Amino acid sequence: MKHYINKVAVLGSGVMGSGIACQLANIGMEVVMLDIVPFNLPDEQKNIPAVRNSIVNGALKTALKTKPAPLYDKNFASRISTGNFDDDFELISDADWIIEVVIERLDIKKTIFEKVEKFRKKGSFVTSNTSSIPINMLVEGRSAEFQENFCGTHFFNPPRYMELLEVIPHTGSSDDILDFFMEFGDKHLGKRTVLCKDTPAFIANRIGVMSVTKLYELTDKFEFGIEEVDALTGPLIARPKTATFKLQDLVGLDTGDKVSQFVLSAVKDDVFFEKYRGKDNPKWLQHLLDNKWLGRKSKAGFYKLERTPDGKKNFKAFNLKTLQYEDAIKPKLPSVGDTRKIELLDKRLQALINHDSKGGKFIKEYFAELLAYTSNRVPEIADHLYSIDDAMRTGYAWDYGPFEYWDFIGIQKGIEIAIEYDLKVADWVTEMASSGADVFYKIEDGIKKYYDLESKSYKEIPGLDTYIILDNYRHKKPVIQNSECAVHDIDDGVLCVEFRSKSNAIGEGIGQGIAGAIDLAEKGDYRGVVIGNNAKNFTVGANLMNIGMIAMQKDFDTLEKMVDGFQQLTMRCRYSNVPVVAATQGYVFGGGCEITMHCDASKLAAESYIGLVEVGVGLLPGGGGTKEMAVRASDSFFPGDVQMPTLIEHFKPVATASVATSAHEAYGYNLMQRDKDQVVANAKRNIYEAKREVLNLADNYQKPISRNDITVLGRAGLATLYTAINEFKLGNYMSDYDVEISRKVAWVMCGGDLTSPQKVSEQYLLDIEREAFLSLLGNQKTLDRIQYMLMNNKPLRN
Amino acid sequence: MLPVLILNTGKAETNVFIFLKILKENKMDAYIVAGFRSAVGKAKKGGFKNYRSDDLAVDVVKHLMSTVPEVDPKLIDDMIVGCANPEGEQGLQIGRLISARALGFEVPGMTVNRYCASGLETISIASAKINAGMGHIYIAGGTENMSTIPMTGYKLAPSYNAAMDYINYHVGMGSTAEAVATKYNITREAADEFSYNSHLKAAAAIDGGKFTDQIVPVTVKEVFVKDNKRVESEHTVAVDEGVRRDTSIEGLARLRPVFKNKGTVTAGNSSQTSDGAAFVMVMSEEMVNKLNLKPIARLISCAVGGLDPLYMGMGPCVAIPKAVKQAGIKLNDIEQIELNEAFAVQALGVIENAGLNPDIVNVNGGAIALGHPLGCTGAKLSVQLFNEMRLRNQKYGMVTACVGGGQGIAGIYELLN
Repeated sequence: MKHYINKVAVLGSGVMGSGIACQLANIGMEVVMLDIVPFNLPDEQKNIPAVRNSIVNGALKTALKTKPAPLYDKNFASRISTGNFDDDFELISDADWIIEVVIERLDIKKTIFEKVEKFRKKGSFVTSNTSSIPINMLVEGRSAEFQENFCGTHFFNPPRYMELLEVIPHTGSSDDILDFFMEFGDKHLGKRTVLCKDTPAFIANRIGVMSVTKLYELTDKFEFGIEEVDALTGPLIARPKTATFKLQDLVGLDTGDKVSQFVLSAVKDDVFFEKYRGKDNPKWLQHLLDNKWLGRKSKAGFYKLERTPDGKKNFKAFNLKTLQYEDAIKPKLPSVGDTRKIELLDKRLQALINHDSKGGKFIKEYFAELLAYTSNRVPEIADHLYSIDDAMRTGYAWDYGPFEYWDFIGIQKGIEIAIEYDLKVADWVTEMASSGADVFYKIEDGIKKYYDLESKSYKEIPGLDTYIILDNYRHKKPVIQNSECAVHDIDDGVLCVEFRSKSNAIGEGIGQGIAGAIDLAEKGDYRGVVIGNNAKNFTVGANLMNIGMIAMQKDFDTLEKMVDGFQQLTMRCRYSNVPVVAATQGYVFGGGCEITMHCDASKLAAESYIGLVEVGVGLLPGGGGTKEMAVRASDSFFPGDVQMPTLIEHFKPVATASVATSAHEAYGYNLMQRDKDQVVANAKRNIYEAKREVLNLADNYQKPISRNDITVLGRAGLATLYTAINEFKLGNYMSDYDVEISRKVAWVMCGGDLTSPQKVSEQYLLDIEREAFLSLLGNQKTLDRIQYMLMNNKPLRN
Repeated sequence: MLPVLILNTGKAETNVFIFLKILKENKMDAYIVAGFRSAVGKAKKGGFKNYRSDDLAVDVVKHLMSTVPEVDPKLIDDMIVGCANPEGEQGLQIGRLISARALGFEVPGMTVNRYCASGLETISIASAKINAGMGHIYIAGGTENMSTIPMTGYKLAPSYNAAMDYINYHVGMGSTAEAVATKYNITREAADEFSYNSHLKAAAAIDGGKFTDQIVPVTVKEVFVKDNKRVESEHTVAVDEGVRRDTSIEGLARLRPVFKNKGTVTAGNSSQTSDGAAFVMVMSEEMVNKLNLKPIARLISCAVGGLDPLYMGMGPCVAIPKAVKQAGIKLNDIEQIELNEAFAVQALGVIENAGLNPDIVNVNGGAIALGHPLGCTGAKLSVQLFNEMRLRNQKYGMVTACVGGGQGIAGIYELLN
């Protein structure tokens, strides 16, 4: 039977409950969230609905204020209605999915489910977000039909941003519900869904707790400071900057400890945790816990941010020996210094493990334990090794999971280092290695395959058929290739331009790649072009370093050619005989935003952060972006329109370098348009969707006619925008130079100082945009801004 | 001047004598015989948020007429309506619409805009017309609904040439307040304390029934959709809505500056946006005598002055000395002042620099607590002033306000017993 979910009931409104409710609202669900009536209400307040709902309403209000925002668009809050368990339980009666997110206590959860059973409609799905209670225990006493439609759905905090959704069956869960959530979680919720088993802490937290426990142990053993451990365990080994201790501050030391204690007490037949059972926490951890220095929420944890009386930041680190906060240091470990510049991760990890130093030994012992431990968890916690890697990548934001690390390190080397520390890797690994299978993953014919324990062979990872992963095309020679990009043939007559410069910054190479791909398609060899990549960020924009260098040499001829070239490139995206579709995720800044704006369509991952940010570096969008905002303003004018508010709405995002914090928000900034740009819930699926769009459009594609009907307002518009800019200046929100830059943006968007509104061509606007761009590059203050951005990665306000 | 030219005797001294004689003979004193106002509603959330300003004005004027049954509407020479944003719902020459609806087709009407001075300016124009012998009875006042019309109007369209000459011709009001705070060193603490007191005084005035006599209760009927059903509702607004009884100095101190980074001006120490209407009847001495009415007050002088638009808030400092001089009295003859609190910083700057006695300024609170329905404000403050002066048996009182674009207005009333 086909299931549809249109209404969801979220029971419990804490941090997770509210966050889940918001994510469900994000994807267009009708959400009803319930929580308890406050205890011990005085008689006079007992019957006031607002008081009875104060817990749930307060929690939602707090959640909506959280940064980063839980909603794609704050207007989506209207999709969530609230109520309480005592008065409003019948609201769940037409819910298609009821998810329980109440306190982690079996008795309370069981009471809730008993009540759910009374009110729910037959066939609705019921799940629990529990992180620690066995799913089997939750359904005790429920009807068979209830049990069939029940499983665990475990989100990670914050639910909008963490990509993992663990789906946990109990013994009576129907295949129907598991299949449903594995697919729904992926396609609708935008998550990586991982099928778990009903084992303590499921997958991600089990491995995560093991990892941090080991790192704590090694910290003591090697007598490292926390800054040193964070230097070793962050980006150096392809993990987030929060590394080890900063991550604990973020999660909350008490929360981390609670999960650790739970795992420690609940696991069975686990030699690693046996060693720790009954032992005390490291004394420094206990000291922090006892003092309630629990991390960011209590403003002190492993690190502490202090402010000097004059407001300067003073970063402190907790000294594990003296148990005092001291000024944080920038550690200088030879192991880090010698390896961090190694670009390729496999070479870097190998160099680290072989590094004859404290740091090298630390990393070696850590990986030995991680690899051995994880190998022994298959099939205990997951039947397939990719499930564990998926969970660690998406639930802990590691760039790679344990088996992927193992492939980088080398299977034999991994086994060797485990033996060195008297650790036993699982038999299936040694058998696999001795059978000649020397990797856990391999790519065959563009399909990523994993080593399957049962059949002892490589199998395709299921559910990825609608993912286009460009890594899988690496075995084929790209159609076009240069230092900044590769153009892949992604089958069915579609090309994909993959940026692969540093931070995917756009330079000449990418320009050549896009133009070349369009040329090839126009020749008839292909049907259209996708511009997309699988990197974390689509692109940070134009290559500033290059522009800045040439500007400093005052080589304006070259600069003019560059800007002209970029304008021609974006115009080529729009005006070619084949469809060009962008697929974005992460940062879509500056030039990347301009390219996307000029494509025939785009498929934006919901988590796309989009903005014309050029003003921040003393420039204006010079690749047609400023022009395009004028075009969009003009297209929004209607007979009788007073036009000014529309002009201001289009001007603001450029002049203030606004970044939309989700693809949905970008509509509101007029950076994206609903009729051609669509949001894709799952970032991993945007290239596939873009390819489909190319094929749809290609059938009867007609190149657009170039525009000469753009209404610009001239002086009337300038006076309005200059006046608005003046308010920002008077309010100290803009520096004098900000005013100068904003006025240039206004100039371009109004078509210059025309004495009356008139219709102009796109080319005229491009010409004045280019002129304005170059004039800003001739200003030392712009060069200072560029230089500052390159050195400090944040804007200079001069 | 025409009579002077006709009677030109050739001798300057004689000319002047004849001119003054003619002026004196022709000048008719103008009297306020009645004045009322609506309660002031909170813009966008209060009782008048869906009530048009012409409707509100009609209600107030009809009530005003009912209190002076001696006056046949046909006798009214003109209606003068102040309105600071006469466009959109307040466009289409709202003054005429109100006169026709409230008083009949025969009574004409016009709209006057001097921003926040409009409501006082209309009384000044009516008085001046009577003084000049142009008519006998005028309805003057103002109306504004800030719930519907954006502060800058629907189309913000400043002059390019002006903006190129001096960008602050079109400066926003909040920025002028910050400019005043900076120039005159007015602190956040002083501004917040002033605002706190405004609320305290206003609450006391409301509780003491100070405004009851002057407010026309207005019943608003609404039709809306609730649970997919057409629903009718009705509510009466009879009390000013702006006062925050839970305001505290600490609460005010927590608010963020809205116009300037690390600035002084917050939502709490600025006037509120409001909806309201207020009107008075101005009548010649001849007509007062003929109808045997007892006048309330007389506008003995009204002056406006200009200054740099960036320091708009200090406008009263320019207007007050002019008005005092015109009236032929001294500043300290004035016993009570209604100073429109556009912003606390501006009000404090004016009190200090115009040399006003703070104890007699806004004894019943001001716009920070009671609201500021732009074009209505001058008339509303006048009505409030009459009532309070009558209670205190005072003779001279003043209404003064700063005006957008860099102006100030001050009108001095003499109360009649």
